[in-house]
Amino acid sequence: MMLHLRFLLRELVQARRQAAVFVLCVALSLFSMVALNSFRNTVQGVVLGDARSLQGGDILIHSHYPWSPALAQAAAGLEQNGKVRAVRMYECYSVIRPTAGDRTLLTRLKIAEPGYPLYGKVTLQSGRPLETVLTAGNVVAEREVLERLGLKVGDQVHIGNAVLTIADIITHEPDRPVELFALGPRILIPAANLDQLQLIGKSSRVDYGILLKVQHQEDIKTIAAELAKKADPDQEQVATALSTRPQVKVFFDNLFFFLSLISLFTLLLAGIGMQTSLAALLREKRKTLAIIKSLGAPGGFLFLNYFALILALGLLGSLAGIAFGCLLEHYLPVLFAGILPAGTTPVFTLADVAQGLLLGLLAVIFFTFLPLYGLRQIRPMALFRNDMQTGARGIFFYLAALAGLFLLTLFTVRQLQDIQIGLCFIAASLALLFGIWLLTRLLLAVSGRFRLPFLELRQAHKSLFRPGNATCSIVVTLACALSVLLTIHQIQTNLAATYIESYPPEAPNLFFLDIQPEQKEDFIRKAGHDIQLFPIIRARLVSINGQPVRERRQPQQRGDSLTREFNLTYRNALLEDEVLTEGASLFRKDPAGASIPLQVSVLDTVAEMGNMHRGDRLAFNIQGIPLEAAISSIRTRTKSRLYPFFYFVFPEEFLRNAPQTFFAALHLEPQDIAGLENRIASGFPNISFINMTQTAAELGGLARRLTGIVNFFAGFSILAGILILIGSILATRLARIREAVYYTILGAGSRFVLSVFIYEHLLLGLFSSISAVILAQSASWALCRYLFAIRYSPSWPVSILLILLTGLLVVAIGLLSSAGIFRQKPAIALREQYDE
Amino acid sequence: MTDTILETRELAKAYTLEDRTIRILDALSLTISAGEFVVITGDSGSGKTTLLTLLSGLDRPTSGRVILAGQDITDLSEDHLARLRNEQIGFVFQAFHLVPSLNAVENIMFPAELKKDRQAADKAARLLTRVGLWERRHHFPEQLSGGEKQRVAICRALINNPGILFADEPTGNLDSKNSEAIVDLLTELQREQKTTLVLATHSTAIAGRAQRIIRLRDGRLCDLKRS
Repeated sequence: MMLHLRFLLRELVQARRQAAVFVLCVALSLFSMVALNSFRNTVQGVVLGDARSLQGGDILIHSHYPWSPALAQAAAGLEQNGKVRAVRMYECYSVIRPTAGDRTLLTRLKIAEPGYPLYGKVTLQSGRPLETVLTAGNVVAEREVLERLGLKVGDQVHIGNAVLTIADIITHEPDRPVELFALGPRILIPAANLDQLQLIGKSSRVDYGILLKVQHQEDIKTIAAELAKKADPDQEQVATALSTRPQVKVFFDNLFFFLSLISLFTLLLAGIGMQTSLAALLREKRKTLAIIKSLGAPGGFLFLNYFALILALGLLGSLAGIAFGCLLEHYLPVLFAGILPAGTTPVFTLADVAQGLLLGLLAVIFFTFLPLYGLRQIRPMALFRNDMQTGARGIFFYLAALAGLFLLTLFTVRQLQDIQIGLCFIAASLALLFGIWLLTRLLLAVSGRFRLPFLELRQAHKSLFRPGNATCSIVVTLACALSVLLTIHQIQTNLAATYIESYPPEAPNLFFLDIQPEQKEDFIRKAGHDIQLFPIIRARLVSINGQPVRERRQPQQRGDSLTREFNLTYRNALLEDEVLTEGASLFRKDPAGASIPLQVSVLDTVAEMGNMHRGDRLAFNIQGIPLEAAISSIRTRTKSRLYPFFYFVFPEEFLRNAPQTFFAALHLEPQDIAGLENRIASGFPNISFINMTQTAAELGGLARRLTGIVNFFAGFSILAGILILIGSILATRLARIREAVYYTILGAGSRFVLSVFIYEHLLLGLFSSISAVILAQSASWALCRYLFAIRYSPSWPVSILLILLTGLLVVAIGLLSSAGIFRQKPAIALREQYDE
Repeated sequence: MTDTILETRELAKAYTLEDRTIRILDALSLTISAGEFVVITGDSGSGKTTLLTLLSGLDRPTSGRVILAGQDITDLSEDHLARLRNEQIGFVFQAFHLVPSLNAVENIMFPAELKKDRQAADKAARLLTRVGLWERRHHFPEQLSGGEKQRVAICRALINNPGILFADEPTGNLDSKNSEAIVDLLTELQREQKTTLVLATHSTAIAGRAQRIIRLRDGRLCDLKRS
């Protein structure tokens, strides 16, 4: 067996256009993934840094309540023994205001003991070390605090009951490398001012934290386990830096995971492009290959030589893909602007290049196997008979196909770092491709049954079935890409419409938190509006009918959990937007005969989560105090109003005296909001308030940025369809010329020829986009209905626009790719046909 | 008595197209001696090309046997047949079938290069000169006339000194002047290299030049005579 280099090079030169399409398909299959993987490494290394800096310590202890004595004692003991160094922290939201002026601002406070942070560094604008700046009476704040309140370094602000000086500006915090979304900017306060603030009360919404730096790293797990034994499992969590994932890391992991899914999808579609373009090339070469076989070349000769050719083209495509990937990666910081810190510089390493080459090689081998295997089936008799049947596929073919699918699955699992999701992705992708293929075949078959109105259209329709036309591949690839894009758009639009844009005008737009019981009357007076206060008692659900909640299998609907902390409330009447689904009234009026006097009404969503029914006994832990109640009724919300709702409602008389804060929701005209905020902030420094319209707008902005990133990556998948279209036109170039010549010889003008051509591509575009719309609308409806549980609006104008634009795009690409066909002279075409 | 180089026994070929079975050849038995010039003739559709493809191993019969140089080639694998086609058989097609991406001399060299013949270039040069096309050696098939292409094809078929040369309507796409020249060339080379030549044609003029004529009608032998 030998490589015939001259033959290979000549074949390559002669089929250079198809080869170019193949190389571009290879490049497309990997460039976005190469860019993404490299960028993910950059973000991982540069932005997220190491786990300890991100978490702030080797061991992290967290609670929403003051420390239990056992845990506090254990931590103190470790500190005294010198085994750990500890820093205690408190985080909460609070509204601050300057000492002069009437502006207010909701901020996130972190009150930390000296020594914070244990790992990493808080960098300040002045460049001074934090410990020299963060002294009693001084705070450091994010730039946004100063900008929004019109302050400068050195000015003073009211925080809680204290007046503190802004001593510097925070430019970087190790445990918050990026700002994704927050209700307010950060202020760092020394623990020396904790008492002065008077914000940390029994019922206040505060996050308590202890960060530990362990003297000997090998003791981390042992010490964490010791502390976990002393912790109250219902209230306190002990974790090591390596065993937890900070939210920002979770966010980026999820974002890159989703983008990886999209890049993998592009790889699949580009792979179809590789396969289609190679199949088209070999179909063109069929006669030449039959000649070679008739001259005595064994079957392996053709396979070896074309395999070498494909590998060479694959290498070229991989290098091109890596180069494009490197360029793309440098654009990604612009794309991620507002999500990543400014100045994040991507780093493209040799490992990224190696990974790209390996990926390209695997993709080429997997996707070209089928067409190359077909070389074995070519017989010399193909020179004499066009209807030559190829031989049946042997067992080796199926084994190799299975092996290839296995390798692809392995790669997907590795890329996504999750076996289950990797398998689901492969299965879903194959199902999508198969579904669209079926739909395409159906549409083509159904369209053939209608007598189309005029000759050009009828000829155009027949042209779709021209031998060598990759009609199915074009439609499937374009439809897949378009359906993904349209689904993303529909989901994003419907989510925004439900949660962000459809905020009813009369709905509450200002929420007040942490109103203390003794502040109720004064608050109502100062608010000056007819305002309803909702009591909030923080508690955990311990058991249902005696079975601990932790041990129950919980359906993970809506991402909620029965083991989290709940806000209980009390009242004796239903809200305006509530109706009973079980029980004649909220509470049984005559509890005589019931063994447990205390009742609770439960919202249907949480009842479903815990499989709860009327009469079930629920046990709660209300800040250390146990309480048991029987379910008296189950409610549902009509969602006729956007109003606060509570999972668990108790009769007023039973919880009136429990430790509680109050929550209020109010609707104000925008021009009145600032005035009320200022009055409340000056009178009640501990009360936080959230402006919902502002928050909703910020969330909407973040959602739009993220959708933009996803759409950017998803858009590349359309290129795969375009490449296949170009490849198909090249492959059937001679056939198209012949047809055009026949039309001309038989008396048709150039306008007829052009019309047939345009209609053919218009039909391709229409079939692709209609399939995409059918699939995307169905998938979006199902996701909105069953996953997000929101109303679905199909946005038909967008779908119609998609259909029109796709038709135009396919016609344009087709015309550009076929420029030479219409200029071909009949005599030359006929002679070429004779020679063919 | 000359050696038999080619023999068929009850050779038959049928094609199935959708639900129809078309019998092209039926129970054909013949022998061809080494060094003989045999013409297979018959009307269009009589099965000449099909018989030629079966004799040369390009296709497999539906039934019957083909024995080439004492070897039954009927059931040989594709790779075995490929080696035979490379080393013992030459084929000249009506439509020339030159490799479009190779020039004239490269087309001729190709079969020799397949068997790693280090003298492929020299042999090709000699053949090309012999047929008067040395000046056109770097021209590609699309740059050659019909007659020139067929001469290149003949050189290609002969470069490995095959024991038997098959030609299927080699003049079918040529004018009368070129046709005569091609047949002259074939017969001259056949005599020079002592190759067996089996030529399919519907031309009685060409048939008249053969040592033996095998006449086909509707896939059956109807006449077998010496000219």
